[in-house]
Amino acid sequence: MSAPPLLRMEFAARAESLAEVRAAVHRALLTLTLDARDVARIVLAIDEACANVIRHAYRDCNDGRIELRIERRRERLRFRLRDHAPAVDPGCLKPRDLSECRPGGLGINIIDETMDHWRQRPLKRHCGNVLTMLRRLQVRNK
Amino acid sequence: MMGKGSELSRDGDWSVLRVWGEVDLSWSQDVRKQVLDAYTKAKSLAVQLDGVSYIDSSGIAALVEGFQHARAKGGRFALLAPSESVRAVLELARLDRVFPIFSDLAAARAA
Repeated sequence: MSAPPLLRMEFAARAESLAEVRAAVHRALLTLTLDARDVARIVLAIDEACANVIRHAYRDCNDGRIELRIERRRERLRFRLRDHAPAVDPGCLKPRDLSECRPGGLGINIIDETMDHWRQRPLKRHCGNVLTMLRRLQVRNK
Repeated sequence: MMGKGSELSRDGDWSVLRVWGEVDLSWSQDVRKQVLDAYTKAKSLAVQLDGVSYIDSSGIAALVEGFQHARAKGGRFALLAPSESVRAVLELARLDRVFPIFSDLAAARAA
């Protein structure tokens, strides 16, 4: 039997939800042996992922829902974000060149730098998208 | 200093925008507007960030716009005393090498 999730929450897809999400993720991560800097980085990455869903999947339309689930699987953390928005083309989600100084588009870079692996896919049989992110628990140099 | 907020003041030929609290998607557009509006008061802008406990990429984007505005209009832009959490995000975005960062306005003026 798998261990219960560290966190399972559902929230409104609006910017005002983000503070509550950050606080819940922070509390969940405090149960692990991560240093404060790593916790802050992961909280930021989750916030960016949620903000992307709000802005680009739901297009700021405020009445959608997002489900977040965090699980520990041996020495890895697995984060899963599920929305019910129209399908988003995974090909649009790419880190940008950080040598260009321009506003916007940093969220994917933050996720990419923080996580060991991530994948976004539209659901085939249902409306919505799933973003799965994995991160090792051990000390990383990334 | 509770919650989040901002305050604009004038110090000689600089506008100083003091921001505090968590800067995220819920009000980063307001911060962006305040950054750009500040240039109507003075040609140069310093954004004081020691009271910012959290900033996301939308908040960083507001700062980038302020920086670009100053460059385009021949003014100056500076970040003052960014908190540790702000510095961490600037480093992650490699903007710590781009933004002029100073401990206070006097240091920005002298640079």
